[in-house]
Amino acid sequence: MAKVACTHCNLEFDKSVMIIEKDREDEEIFFCCKGCQGVYHLLQSEGLDSFYDKLGDTTLQPAVDYHDDLHKFDLEGFYNKYVKTTKDGFCEINLIIEGIHCSACVWLNEKVLHKTDGIVEASINYSNNKAKVVWDNDVITLSKIIETIRSIGYNAYPYDASLQEERANKTKKDYYSRILMGVFGTMNIMWIAIAQYAGYFTGMERRFKDILNVAEFLLATPVLFYSGWIFFRGAYYGFKNRVINMDTLVSAGALSAYIYSIYAMITQTGEVYFDSVVMIITFVLVGKYLEVLSKKHAVDTLDSIMGSMPTEVTIITENEKSLVSIENVQVGDIIELKAGEKVVIDGVVTSGDGSFDESSLSGESIPIYKQEGDEIRSGSICLDAVIRYRATHDANNSLLSSIVSLLEDAITKKPSIEKLADKVSGYFSFVIFSLAILTFIGWYLYSGEFEHSLIVAISVIVIACPCALGLATPMATLVGISISAKRGLLFKEASFLETMAKSNLLALDKTGTITEGKPSVINASIKDGFEPSLLLSLVETSNHPVSKGVAKYIKESYTDTQKVPLEDMKTIEAKGIEASYKSRKLLGGNVDLMRKYDIEIDISTQYTIFIFAIDNQVVATFELKDTLREDIKESISLIKDMGIEVVMLTGDHQKSADSVADEVGIDKVYAKLLPDEKAKLIEDFQKDGKITVMVGDGINDAIALAKSNIAIAMGNGADVAIDISDVVLLNEKPMSIYEAYKISRRTFRAVKENLGLSLLYNSVAIPLAISGFVNPLVAALSMSLSSLVVVGNSMRIKLLKFDNK
Amino acid sequence: MSENIIILMLGVSTALGAFGLVALLWGVKTGQFDDQNKFLDAARYDNEEDLKDAILIEEKKKEALKKRKENSQYRPAD
Repeated sequence: MAKVACTHCNLEFDKSVMIIEKDREDEEIFFCCKGCQGVYHLLQSEGLDSFYDKLGDTTLQPAVDYHDDLHKFDLEGFYNKYVKTTKDGFCEINLIIEGIHCSACVWLNEKVLHKTDGIVEASINYSNNKAKVVWDNDVITLSKIIETIRSIGYNAYPYDASLQEERANKTKKDYYSRILMGVFGTMNIMWIAIAQYAGYFTGMERRFKDILNVAEFLLATPVLFYSGWIFFRGAYYGFKNRVINMDTLVSAGALSAYIYSIYAMITQTGEVYFDSVVMIITFVLVGKYLEVLSKKHAVDTLDSIMGSMPTEVTIITENEKSLVSIENVQVGDIIELKAGEKVVIDGVVTSGDGSFDESSLSGESIPIYKQEGDEIRSGSICLDAVIRYRATHDANNSLLSSIVSLLEDAITKKPSIEKLADKVSGYFSFVIFSLAILTFIGWYLYSGEFEHSLIVAISVIVIACPCALGLATPMATLVGISISAKRGLLFKEASFLETMAKSNLLALDKTGTITEGKPSVINASIKDGFEPSLLLSLVETSNHPVSKGVAKYIKESYTDTQKVPLEDMKTIEAKGIEASYKSRKLLGGNVDLMRKYDIEIDISTQYTIFIFAIDNQVVATFELKDTLREDIKESISLIKDMGIEVVMLTGDHQKSADSVADEVGIDKVYAKLLPDEKAKLIEDFQKDGKITVMVGDGINDAIALAKSNIAIAMGNGADVAIDISDVVLLNEKPMSIYEAYKISRRTFRAVKENLGLSLLYNSVAIPLAISGFVNPLVAALSMSLSSLVVVGNSMRIKLLKFDNK
Repeated sequence: MSENIIILMLGVSTALGAFGLVALLWGVKTGQFDDQNKFLDAARYDNEEDLKDAILIEEKKKEALKKRKENSQYRPAD
């Protein structure tokens, strides 16, 4: 049957399932669902139908009806947490808008919000889907605003901007303004300085020289004190802690050159060095700014993780369950937690027992078993079973304190080679400073000329200004990170490029990484007593891909299935699921699960097996096969060519693991692993001195991912996996793993080259400066030149060629 | 060549540049460069409608403020 596109969301479906109606011109239009139809008519009646012209061929998410949780937006706790009051007495909130695909979506949202009564300001950021809305609380309530956004097919949830983003944005803007000033000053002083240089060699009348000097002075002063303020501040803190750092050197060099230049300008003797002053400040400032930029990027990524936190919990009051938003939970409330839910409020278990994944809190990745009386902490995840616990903290005290500090930690980590460079430049600064003073004393004793000695000493400071040293690492890693981001690789920290470059072992998970992770049933053998409805209800309780494959198969082969209520559902890791229905025991899983219940089974196949048993009687077995990801074979052989060992870890049985490994060319296979055994293996590799990169996608890989030196997660893997991973593959292509290796190795090489270059430069230039062959002007030029060499060398990373298109 | 010409040339050109710089700094401070994409799309989709929208919003804000003021004036003393 012909496929037609939905008029609202542009997704294509069979004509037979579409809602068909006639529009004003009597032409047939189609909708995939009631939601889309509703939105379409709403837009028509509001006169906003030009949205569809702007939309073009982009497809949208079909509009969904949300369950009624609007009341929570008007609760007092919610207001206290997210809503700020502006100067004028209006309310302000930051929202993340879900479902934005293109600029037309942004246009529509803004337009609708603007038209709504009571909203006085609404702006949506195109890049990260974050919106700021200001409204008059007397006219409209927040729940009404959210309802408006939902009515046009999008969803909005609030986030706390004050946490990280505002601060990061502020520093970014601050640096940006200071750099603008610096660049302005430098550019203008440079063209004046060219006249000065010309005058220096061909002769210039004193009166013109004076004018140029004053002009340079006027331009240099704001640059030194506004743009350079950051260095003075850093030097001051350094002085307070008694360390000489790069800031000390920069500010001392710039300030002494500045003061001497003023002296030269007023006394009308000698040359001025204002151009050196502004160049030092501007170049080093740009280097620092690049560092700030990479931090801002990390904050953007982390905000979305915060957004995925649940906003409400189930509270039990006198055996009645009710959903309450987390802000309104009080100490002492009893909260019910279901399997797979994230804990958002600290508490003590009152009934039930089960295991918790606390890896995102402690890094301790083995699930921890908790029972009555044990403490559970926010940020951990309940893996199995239903648990009730008593809240011991309110939301603000439990959630924020633990998670925010965690995020901040992650952002401030630096690559170890950069830490080394910082340390070296600290010592370096101290040595240079002493050298400059010694040079000054030496020259003064030798020649007796104060002015000449001072100039030589300044030259030493200026020429040695460790710009190149400071820029070496951030410049190269920034270029590395930006090209990897363009190729769908998100490095969460700059330091991971370094670790990745040094890695010599790659561990791949089978399901979801080497294969698509969507196995489908290729062979089914059904015995007497099989009830499809029971099996369907059982497998639908699990998110495991095998369960999904089986569910899909049943839905396709049996039409008259219906869901039945199951009890005592339990997920047994790496084995399967069990439940009971009307006191009949249902088991679904692999051979291990059957063995656990002493069910003898004798199957030998290279495919994944799913067995279904009712009351310990096997009633059906399914064989499932998974398709390999595209290009996996090529990328593995390319990675092997780089000299990296590739191994496969899987919870699947040996035979199916072997067949997949054979197909893609992996020699070492570790099969039948439980999640903690995977982690154990990774540890063993590390004990052998291997630096391990692990690629995985699911909760079952989470532990191993946390243990490995570099964890790479597939972009649509489980939240936990993405949480703890260091690199995320957005496009899910195996070739990206190879690219990640390639980019990181190239970047690390550039870092080493940069460090070598700047050290070489200093070891040649400093002796020259001390012996008085260089004047500050040439010193500043060659210093900038050395920085440019470092920048240029880093830019060469961009020339990296990839074999595939 | 007289000094005055040089002073004038330097002064005028630097002042013009400084004017641009101040405008740019103001733009940064008021958040006009916060969103790269919006910046570009604004040029692409530039039309009268957006301008009207901006005015509408500004007027709405003014009105709301005015109303708020009136309300606070009419509030009886307790």
